[in-house]
Order: sequence, then structure tokens, then C-alpha cells
Amino acid sequence: MATGKALKRRTLLHSTLLGAGASVMLARHGRAQAEKPQYGGKLRVAYNLAPGALDPVVGRSGGDAYYWRQFVDQLVDADPSLNPRASTSLAQSWDVSDPRKVVLNLRKGVKFHDGTDFNADAVKFNIERLLDPATKATPRSAFTPVDTVDVVDEHIVRFNLKRPWGSVLSTLADRGGAMNSPTAVKKLGQDYLFKPVSTGPFKVAEFVSGSHVRFVRNENYWGRDEAGNPLPYLDEIVMNTVPDPTVQVSALKAGEMDLIYLPYREVGNFETNPAYTVRKYEGGGIAFLLSFNLAKPPMDNVNLRQAIAHAINPDVINRAVYFGRAIPAKSGMWPPGAWAHDPTVPRPSYSVAKAKEFLAKGGRPNGFEMEAVIWPSDLNTPTAEIVRAQLGAIGIKLTYKVYETTVATEKFYYGSDAPMFLTSWSRYPEPEWVASLIYRSDGYYNAGKVKDDRLDALVDSGVAVADIPARRAIYRKVDEIVLGEAIMVPMLYGVTYAAAHKAVQGVDDVFGWDAKMYLHRMWLKKA
Amino acid sequence: MQRYILRRLAQLIPSLLLITFLVFALMHAIPGDPARMMLGAGEQLDAKQLEIVRREYNLDRPLPVQYVLWLAKAASGDLGRSTTSQRRVGEEVAMRAGITFQLGLFAWLIGICIAIPAGIVSAVHRGRWPDMLATMGAVGAVALPGFWLGIMMILLFGVTLGWLPTRGYVPLAVDPLESLRHMLLPAIALGITSSALVTRQMRSALLEVLAQDYIRTARAKGLARWAIVIGHALRNAMLPVITVMGLEIGRIFAGSVVIETLFGIPGMGRLMVQAVFTRDFPVVQGCVLVMATAVLVINFATDILYAVLDPRIRYDK
Repeated sequence: MATGKALKRRTLLHSTLLGAGASVMLARHGRAQAEKPQYGGKLRVAYNLAPGALDPVVGRSGGDAYYWRQFVDQLVDADPSLNPRASTSLAQSWDVSDPRKVVLNLRKGVKFHDGTDFNADAVKFNIERLLDPATKATPRSAFTPVDTVDVVDEHIVRFNLKRPWGSVLSTLADRGGAMNSPTAVKKLGQDYLFKPVSTGPFKVAEFVSGSHVRFVRNENYWGRDEAGNPLPYLDEIVMNTVPDPTVQVSALKAGEMDLIYLPYREVGNFETNPAYTVRKYEGGGIAFLLSFNLAKPPMDNVNLRQAIAHAINPDVINRAVYFGRAIPAKSGMWPPGAWAHDPTVPRPSYSVAKAKEFLAKGGRPNGFEMEAVIWPSDLNTPTAEIVRAQLGAIGIKLTYKVYETTVATEKFYYGSDAPMFLTSWSRYPEPEWVASLIYRSDGYYNAGKVKDDRLDALVDSGVAVADIPARRAIYRKVDEIVLGEAIMVPMLYGVTYAAAHKAVQGVDDVFGWDAKMYLHRMWLKKA
Repeated sequence: MQRYILRRLAQLIPSLLLITFLVFALMHAIPGDPARMMLGAGEQLDAKQLEIVRREYNLDRPLPVQYVLWLAKAASGDLGRSTTSQRRVGEEVAMRAGITFQLGLFAWLIGICIAIPAGIVSAVHRGRWPDMLATMGAVGAVALPGFWLGIMMILLFGVTLGWLPTRGYVPLAVDPLESLRHMLLPAIALGITSSALVTRQMRSALLEVLAQDYIRTARAKGLARWAIVIGHALRNAMLPVITVMGLEIGRIFAGSVVIETLFGIPGMGRLMVQAVFTRDFPVVQGCVLVMATAVLVINFATDILYAVLDPRIRYDK
């Protein structure tokens, strides 16, 4: 039996991870609730993206999690620092001590919303469905270490691995670990995408394309709060698709919404208004970064990349564009609050003198002309203008091409359209996700597909072990190379702000580990 | 007349074919691989999945073949599935089109209700203060961008005064009053620009008619001024105005793209913009087919209305 081992393993993981996660602004479940939660009510939330699909496994949009997190449970759930958290997971414990096996001990007595039993067969069905290319599952490539899935008994399931998978628990805490009802998937076929059935605290009651998704309370939910009260507290959540942040703010002020994420420019207005609760999550993403194509001149020259990285002053951009609300990046791509984040490996700092020095070293003392790619937004466009002015000060004449987000991403990373991309990045607290996508020679976000044996070896070894201190040491070395050679340089870490009417309680718990909305514990205080 | 109607109806088909083919070709000219777009920009990319998507959506076939395959299915009522949401395009477009048509019709009516009286007053009181006021209003309405007007109205009527909802949509069948309340601000924002052009057209057409001999005769007979304007001049003056009103429908559709986004209305404009960004061919084609058909049919109806209003026009001769 794997349980004993699993418990030991989990205890170890928890003790190492909790220390690392201490810098995250909000601890979710450790804090005692000041008031007894009240049941009932409807929470109206606005978010700017429509769901790509409600089936978490097939949806393609980064915004899908705002929807599916409310009605699914995952095999492994995680706290805001991405520490695996058994108390809210479908697996009560796990054993990852064998590098070729992952054993999950499943929670008993859990049912899908349609009454189907959640058990090892359901897990096997879900993982095999995800691995089948015909499903077109979004997280398929992240699950390639899985060779086969065995049902050990009704509540124990084993993944047999082709290679060690150090990031397995984090990966199961993302969309690939979400469980769908096998009965509903088989019955509905392609129509399942917008009629999903899982085991979570809410059920999908209505989807109106382009307008909203309505969730209602799952009366049979297994989850309990710390005091033993059944979850969730709310009767209903309506997640409205409101693309324009200005309109979201107006709707919150007009009392038509209860909770939104704030644009930077509005944070000051809401913070000083006693009618609202405002909470923040530092490191909610990489707000602004420089991504280089290492195969495309002149950015194939490490010194010229360094020159650019030193010539840009993120403080100015933060003040002018982000209302001083973002955080100038101290380190690399692992965001603040993630266990891999290590500010002792510094980002190339702002220094015109150093920038000029690197220009000279790179053989272009008088500067050069260069193109960049950007995608337009009220933050990106003015940022690009400031970057152009700052690079102009050391003789670099920058022009940029503007494409819509997905086109820009594809043109830069796949089409080698320009040597530099000014962009942003979602919160990826699991370093393996960033490392294998950007730093490995075959990573999609390695724009020039430049092979670097040192990085390939480090990325592979980072995922070959499960021990966090060992992994942290590996990812520190990755950061030293990446920042030392200006391969991908974050300039500003993002801060995510949430604002809600005072009646909305549990706002401290609103941020998931990816800074996306997690509404399981919200409740409304009756006047 | 019947033959004319049939001939005009038959002419709609080549127009639709041309429009849908042009949009099909233009969509392929936009940078970005649709199969890659569908699977996400990169991280989820997987060669096997990519191949399946290409095959499923015929993206591995030559462009003209893709068009013919789409057309054959469309002719049988199957508009395919969206490449992003994988939902049936027919269902999606039908749901969205109803909302856009409701908004468009409401905006159009608001435009006309403002424009026709304003144009008449302006013409009757030419050179005096009502004319100046109407002219200034029309110029202002053309100059104001609809989205700016929309934001200002949201702030005033929604946030400050709290009279009207700032966003969203309630189906007419669910609650007619709430549906109209939700539609009022977006319809004004959308309709006010088109009212300007119709006002100016109404004014100039009416002035021209009022200068004609038969009006002078009517006046000589001692008819009241308003009886002359309404009973004798207006019908003749309406001909060019109807043309402009018909053309304004197309403009209202175009404007709905921005207004729907601003007011959170799940209409076709918003759907189409999103589809263009994600290179969702089947959805773009479906939307274009519906919008183009609507505009062509309205233009056709305008032509028919000509004959009804002016018996001198006989197309079948």
C-alpha cells in the first residue's frame, strides 16, 4: 500500500513549500473567519474573456479557468502558492516517491453532478481521454510523461510514467487534473464542451454565448469549511462576459456587479472608497517582458541583448503606464510568491553607462536599427513608446509592428518575424512550465529554436526530481544563464487587484494560485 | 412588378456568392495559421492534434476546394462548427443575429424618429433658429463617435442617475420592458449618428419639393401649411430619404460591433470581431452570410417601396 509513503511524502512537500510560499500576499485557508458565513444569495461577477469552452480539458483560452474553477474539482488542488492541498483535492493523498509511478488515493463517496460515481475508473477515463489526440485536449503535451493508467482498486489509481515527472502535482492542479463525468462525456459528444459535468461546489446551470454563465450550488458537495460547514455558501454565481474594463468598473459602481478585477488606473479610486473591499495579489503575472529571438540578428549577439536590457528603465514605465501599481522585476520569469522565485539572481539593471558599454562590446558603439513586435493594449502601446525613447537614448532606433495578440505570438515565436517581442506572461508558478516552453531547444517560446545544451540539460534535470530544494537549485542555475545572457528579461511583475462591494465576504480567498478567480468560499452578508 | 421582384431576388444569389467568396479569400490573407490558432498559440501545440484539426476543417485542401465544400454544406443549412468553441455556427449565429437585429431595428427607429421630424422642421423653417438648431444637432451627431456617446450615457444615466442599466441584454420574450430598458442606451448611441444623415437628406429633399409648382398651387388654394407639407410634399420628398434610410442599415450593423462590446450585448457584431481575431473561418463566414443577406434584402425592400410610394415607377415595363 502506498498510503504510508504518500503521507510522508506529502508532509515533506508541505513543510518545504510553505516556507517558500510565505511571500504570497494572501494565505487562504489558514486564517480563522471573523464571522460565521451566511448561506444564500447570488454573486454577480464580471470578467473580460468569454470561455473558449466550459470543458476545462478542451478549452483553449487562458481565461477559461475563471469559469471552470467554480464547478470542477481537481485530482490535486493547490493553495495560492501552488502548494498541493489534499483537503480540497479529489486525491486524499499521493505517492510520487517512485520516479516511474504516481499513485493517487482517491476521496471516497464523491459523485459527479449527474450522479456518476467518482472513482479510479473515472480517473483512468479522464486521463486517457486527454491523451487521445482526437480529443484535441489543451494540456495533452503536458501529460506526455504518462504512459499508461492502471486502476489498482476502486479508489487507487496509478500513472505509469515514461520518464520522471517532477512537476506532476502542479500539473494536476491545472486544467489537466480537472475531472469530467465519463457518463456525460460519452453521452454528449462534442456538445459536452458547453455542458460540462464535474464534482465541484457549483454546477453549470446556463450558458448564454457572449453574455454569461450561471452556476448554481451543488447541494451534494463533499467539501466543508474549517468549522465543518458545508460548502459552498452561495446559491448562485453569474459570471458575465464584459470585455471592456471601463464598462466593468461602471457596472460595479452602478451596483450591477458585485466583484471585478480592477484595471491599474482605477485602483486608487477604489482603495479610498469605503464602499468597496480591494485586495491584491503580487506577481499575478509578468506584466511586461522582453523576449528575444536568439537566432535573428542583431539579437543573436548576447552583448546587444544586454545593452537593450540595461537601457530600459522599468520604474519609468511603471509610473507612467501602470500608475506605479506594478512591481519592477528583481529577478527572472518565476513570479514572486512561487517557490522558484529567487531575487538573489538579479535582472540586468537599468544603467545607461552599462548599456553603452555592452553596445561597444557588441561591436555597435553607435547603436543600430531594429524591429520589434507588439500587440496593442492600453498598457502595451504606451510602454512600447517609452521603450522606443529609452533605446533611442543609446542610439538604438526601434520600430515596431503591431499585431493582434494571438497573431503577434504566432508571428514572433513561430514565424521569426522580428528579433524582439514586447509582451506579457500569465502567472506560471511551476518553473517547469516556463522552462520547457521557453528555454528548451524545442520549446515553442524559444523563438529561434536555438539549442543550448546547458539549458536543455538543466530543464530536463529540473523535472526529473520531485524534491523542491533540489529543483530550486536547478532553476536558480537556469535563471543565472537566462538573465546573465538576457534570453528573456522580465521588466515588471504584475499585481492583480480585485474589488468587491462591502457585502461580499471571502474576498481574501478570491485569488487562485494562477491569480485567477476562485469563488468557492465567497458569501454575501445580508444587510 | 412580379417579374421584377423575381429578377431582383435571383440577383441576390450571385451577390451573396461574391461576398462570401471575397470574405473567404480575405480571411486567408490574414496572417496566422488557423489550425495553430485553434490549438492555442503554442504551448498546447501537438503535431498529431494539428493534423486532426487540419483534416477536420479541410484546412489541408486547396482554398477553392475549401470554399466549395463550405458552400455545399451551407446550401444544405449546415454552417459547420466554430474552430475555437467547436459549437455549431448555425445555432450560434441564429442566437446572436436575433439580438443584433433587435438592437439594429431599435437604433434605426430611434434614428428615424429623430431625423424625419428634425428634417421637416428644418426645411419648413429654413434659415431660422429651428433650422440652425437641427443643423447643429446633425453636425454634432455625425462628429460624435458612438462609443464615446455610449460611455458618457453609461456614466450619466447608469452610474450617476441610476435610471437605466449600463450593460447586458434581456430577451424580449423574457421581459419586454426590461429588454427595452437594456436596449435604450445602446440604441440611442447607435441610432443618433445615422439620424444626422437622414435629417440632412430629409431637409434638402423637402426643400426641393416645397419649391415646386404643385405646392404653390396648393398654397394658392388656401391649404394650411402643415397640411401641404404632410399631405402633399412629404410623400414625394421621401424617395431619396428612403434610399438613405436603407443604406443606414448597413452602417448600423457596422456600428453595432463597437456598441455591442461597450454595452455587453451578445450580438453578432461582437461574435464576428472575436472570430476574425481568432481566425475562426466558419463563424466569420456564417456572420457575413447573415449580415450580407440582411443588407441585400433590405436594399431590395427599399427598391420595392419606391414603386409603392411613386406609382410612376414601373419596373416591369
